[in-house]
Amino acid sequence: MNRKTVAIVDYGVGNHTSVLRTFQALGHRCRVTSDREILAAADVLVLPGVGAFPAAMSALHRAGLASYLCELARQGKPFVGLCLGMQLLADASLEHGTTTGLGLIPGTVRPLPGMDWHIGWNSLETLQHDPLMAPSDGESFYFNHSLVFDVPAAYQAAICRARESSFTVAVRRGNVVGLQFHPEKSQAAGKQLLSRLVEGLGHA
Amino acid sequence: MLKKRLIGVVTVKNGWAVQSFGYRRHLPLGRPEVLVQNLDRWGADEILVQCIDRSSSGLGPDLEVLGKISKLGIATPLIYAGGIGGRVDAVKVVSYGADRIMVDAMVWDSPQSLEAIARELGTQAVIAHLPVRMGDDGLKALDYRERVERPLGNWLELLPLGWVSEIMVSDWSHEGSPGSFDERLLTVVQHVDKPLLCFGGLSAVAQLQRVLTHPRVAAAGVGNFLSYKEHAVQLLKQQLGNCAVRAPQFESFQ
Repeated sequence: MNRKTVAIVDYGVGNHTSVLRTFQALGHRCRVTSDREILAAADVLVLPGVGAFPAAMSALHRAGLASYLCELARQGKPFVGLCLGMQLLADASLEHGTTTGLGLIPGTVRPLPGMDWHIGWNSLETLQHDPLMAPSDGESFYFNHSLVFDVPAAYQAAICRARESSFTVAVRRGNVVGLQFHPEKSQAAGKQLLSRLVEGLGHA
Repeated sequence: MLKKRLIGVVTVKNGWAVQSFGYRRHLPLGRPEVLVQNLDRWGADEILVQCIDRSSSGLGPDLEVLGKISKLGIATPLIYAGGIGGRVDAVKVVSYGADRIMVDAMVWDSPQSLEAIARELGTQAVIAHLPVRMGDDGLKALDYRERVERPLGNWLELLPLGWVSEIMVSDWSHEGSPGSFDERLLTVVQHVDKPLLCFGGLSAVAQLQRVLTHPRVAAAGVGNFLSYKEHAVQLLKQQLGNCAVRAPQFESFQ
C-alpha cells in the first residue's frame, strides 16, 4: 500500500472521528484541520459533513475555506466529499431556500423523489467504467439523507433505487468525487471503496 | 433496494452494559464498548446504545461511554439514546460519534426542543422512542421516569412526530422474554405515517421474519439475545433467510 496523507477538512460541522479512524485503519496519515498549509500539502482532501446545507456553507465561508478548497480542487488535488460534503460540491441546494454551493460539479441538490428520507443500507449501481467505483457495483452502503444531488449524466458515477425511484448517489468530475452515503459507516465495503479512492485518485 | 435492518441494542445502566427484563430487572453484561465492538465485527446493520439511567437522574448524555465507543473506530452506524435534553446535548452526542439520536421524554415534554434538534441535525437523524404495551383497554405508553402508563390512542396524533424520521416501538413489558413481541402493536400504530423500528422480546426467527416483512417495519432491534454467542448477528441473519435484510457479512477488511 502507498501511504498517503489525508486531510479531513475541519469547518466545525459534524463528527470527524469516524472518518478519521477509518483512514487511520487503512494505514494513511490523517490530519483533521482547517490550516491552509496542511490542506495544500495533503495528498487527498476529504470533506465530511452532517446537518443542513446552508449552515455548512456558512461554516465553510466563516472558516475562509470555501474559495480555497475550490482553488485546490481546480488545481487537481484529489477531493472526496462525503454525505453532506458531497452535496456541498454542487452549484446550489434547495434545502431551506436556495443556497450557493462550491460549484465544483454542476447540478442542484433537491429533495428526494417520492420519499422523505433514504435511511439504511442500499446497493450501489455504478454507471460508467470507472476503475475506482466499478468494484463497488452491487455492494451495500449506509445512507441517511433527505436530499439528492441532481447532476448531469456526465458526472453521475452511481445510482440507487428505492420506492420505484432512482437517484444519484455518487458523482465524479476528474479528481473530485462525491459520495452521498457514509463509507466510513459501511463496514468492509466502505473501507474498500475509500482505500481505492485514496490510492487511485490523482492516478486514474 | 433499501434493506431492512437488524439493529443490535446495547442497554447501559451506570456505565455498564446490562441485560434488561421488562424495564425492571437488570443483570450486568460487561463493558458497553466490548459489546459494541462485537456487534460491529459481526456486521450488525446499526447499533443502538441506550443509556437508561440518564434522563430520570438528570445526568445528561453519557459522553464517557460514547467517548470509549468512539475510540474503537467502529464502521457501523451508531444510534444513541439517553439523557438528551435539548439541541446542545444532541449536537454534543453527534460530535462524540453518534450518527443518529433517539429521544423519548422529549417527544412528550418539549416539542420545541425536538424541532430545534431536527433543524440542526436534520430530521433523518432523529428517532422517536415509544415504549408501549397493549392493555385490556387499548394501547398504553410508559413514562419510564415516573413508571406510569398513559393511554396512547388519542395522544398519538398530537405528538410532534413530524420532526422525526422513524419511530421505535418498544414492547417494554416483553423486553427480555424470547419471542414475545406483541405484534398487535404494529396494527395499532399503523396510522402514524413513519417507518417503524421494533424492539422488545424479538429473538425467535419466525417472529423476526414476520415483523421484518411487515410493510411498515424498517428495522428490528435485538438486545440480550445477541450477547450469548460469538457471531450472533451473522448466525441470526443466516437463519432469517430472504426477508429483505442485508446479507450477513463475514469478511472484515484490513
